[in-house]
Amino acid sequence: MLSNLDALMHGFSVALTAHHLMLMMAGVLLGVLVGVLPGLGAPNGVTLLLPLTFTMDPVSAIILLTSLYWGALFGGSTTSILFNIPGEPSSVATTFDGYPMARQGRASEALTLAFLSAGIGAMVGIVVITLLSSAVASFALRFGPPEYFAVYFLAFASFIAFGGGAPLKTIVSLGLGFGFGMMGMDTVSGSMRLTFDIPELIRGISFLVVVIGLFGLGELLLTIEEGPEFKGANGRLDPRAMLRALVSLPRYWVAVLRGSAVGVWMGITPGGPTAASFMSYGLARRMSRNGARFGQGEPEGVIAPETADHSAGTSAMLPMLALGIPGSATSAVMLGGLMIWGLNPGPMLFTEQRDFVWGMIASMYLGNVIGVVLALATVPLFAAMLSVSFSVIGPIIVTVCLVGAYTVAGAPFDLWLALVFGAAGFLMKKLDYPLAPLVLAMVIGDKAEDAFRQSMLLSNGSLGVLWSNPLVGTLSTLAVLFLLWPVMAALLGRHRTSRAMKLAQAENRA
Amino acid sequence: MLNRLQLEYGFAGLVFLVGAIGLRGTVELETGWAADGPQAGFFPYRVSLILMAAAALVAFQAWRNRAALSQAVVVEAEGGGRVLRFALPVLGMVLVAQWLGLYLAMALYLLGTIRFTGKRPWGTALGVALGVTAITFVVFEKWFAVPLLKGPLEVMLGLG
Repeated sequence: MLSNLDALMHGFSVALTAHHLMLMMAGVLLGVLVGVLPGLGAPNGVTLLLPLTFTMDPVSAIILLTSLYWGALFGGSTTSILFNIPGEPSSVATTFDGYPMARQGRASEALTLAFLSAGIGAMVGIVVITLLSSAVASFALRFGPPEYFAVYFLAFASFIAFGGGAPLKTIVSLGLGFGFGMMGMDTVSGSMRLTFDIPELIRGISFLVVVIGLFGLGELLLTIEEGPEFKGANGRLDPRAMLRALVSLPRYWVAVLRGSAVGVWMGITPGGPTAASFMSYGLARRMSRNGARFGQGEPEGVIAPETADHSAGTSAMLPMLALGIPGSATSAVMLGGLMIWGLNPGPMLFTEQRDFVWGMIASMYLGNVIGVVLALATVPLFAAMLSVSFSVIGPIIVTVCLVGAYTVAGAPFDLWLALVFGAAGFLMKKLDYPLAPLVLAMVIGDKAEDAFRQSMLLSNGSLGVLWSNPLVGTLSTLAVLFLLWPVMAALLGRHRTSRAMKLAQAENRA
Repeated sequence: MLNRLQLEYGFAGLVFLVGAIGLRGTVELETGWAADGPQAGFFPYRVSLILMAAAALVAFQAWRNRAALSQAVVVEAEGGGRVLRFALPVLGMVLVAQWLGLYLAMALYLLGTIRFTGKRPWGTALGVALGVTAITFVVFEKWFAVPLLKGPLEVMLGLG
């Protein structure tokens, strides 16, 4: 633990330069902008910026991208509270009580509480990373190909068990991701796979273009369909109300703690921020003394999802850094970035790239503090910007997405791909297919396949290697259990769930 | 308008088709399990089969729930119209970009949508179109030195 503090101090010496502080501010500001605009979210904000970082050194690049992520998480709450339009999927739960508060003239209070509790949630997540990441990494250093495959398998399987989507649709999403990820050259044998003799497909399909389509254009089409109108609340902040909110925050320590715990758990297991914020809101409503007032402008209903959202966002970096397995769609994109910058994500990072790892962790502390301050300070600016009609902003977002899709590889063909995946994203969202598993499968699918095929080389083609020692055996068994979870749950709990469903339906009707 | 059942069937059909195309793509590959483990086509073959099976099951589940799903409208006429009016010009922009370059395509797209779909005055549309295109040019070509797709116009102006 003490050596971690040493390393963290070293990290601060890397992160605390004028250049990096400027990158953090720029990243957070861009992030808030991306978060505020519907259709542009954290995953594709990071994706759009990624090609511009190819020439930067990895530490600066990751600081810029992670700061953008924090900014986007903050920015998403601004529109949720002021306009009842979530700028990010993960801030949907914030609208439930944030918007009613704004309608009652308590927008300043709601925004202050949201940003502060989000900041605290983020801090909890980062402290967990600081304390645990190097331990997890040194543990993972003993991993061979079978262990790696088992961990990947576990990540995919836990999406099916706990990802929140219908298990079948999660399988479709994962399968599509694997399939698109396999296109192009096979890394083991060197043969071409699924390219159908189309020259454009030889280099495969870039997951960055897919993210821009699914999360950018798809999300935008959804917003258009709902007919966005930014009106009502104004963005003027009242300093006295902000102070009142600050003083009242300690009273909600239970909600903050609960939200952070939910967030850290959901971030490390691949549940992601969106699932975390909903879960935290649901738990708070059931467990809080003020539960009955939820939905009518209860501050606790803003604090609960915000804390969980941010602690999930930050702690999703832990498995990404230590194991090379992303805990959310955004960290999946960053993982891809790491590989493009020439780093090998996984436990070796902690020994080979100390500057990078600890510089990044230190920058997370600074970036989130900067995030709270800048997000609050820029509320009036962005609120004014959104009052510009969507008929102007929407088309601009489209051009930003398409330009971003082109810069990934400089290929005109990718523009078509972005369109196709935009339409697919719209349909999948409409039908409740989860999108994050698709991205995850695309990014780490071929790594999982490599690990599997290497394991089979070691064992002469016997699956027994996945149960050859207690560690890998436990991981594989857990993964198989998770995979079968929906079936088991259906068999064991058919009676119970049907009763719970009836209760839930009755509650909805009431 | 469009109900959930139709959309579920439609997308499941699409996924099934993607699976079938994937299966077709593995024909030339070794899909077996040799002494050194799975060959190049092993996973593509199985993933394609899993996709087709999962799509069929999704469709089957939708069929079992057909009474409820066919009542749920997913795309209203009004919203659907808005989506089409928004999406078609984007398609046009990509089409134009293939041969006139991204800059010209985006300027035309912005001008057209803001003026005609958004019903904004010509001044606003022209200002946004030229402004955004110019900023993009400076940021990408000059600042980050990432060249974007160019067409005959840029070549003629000596910018390509």
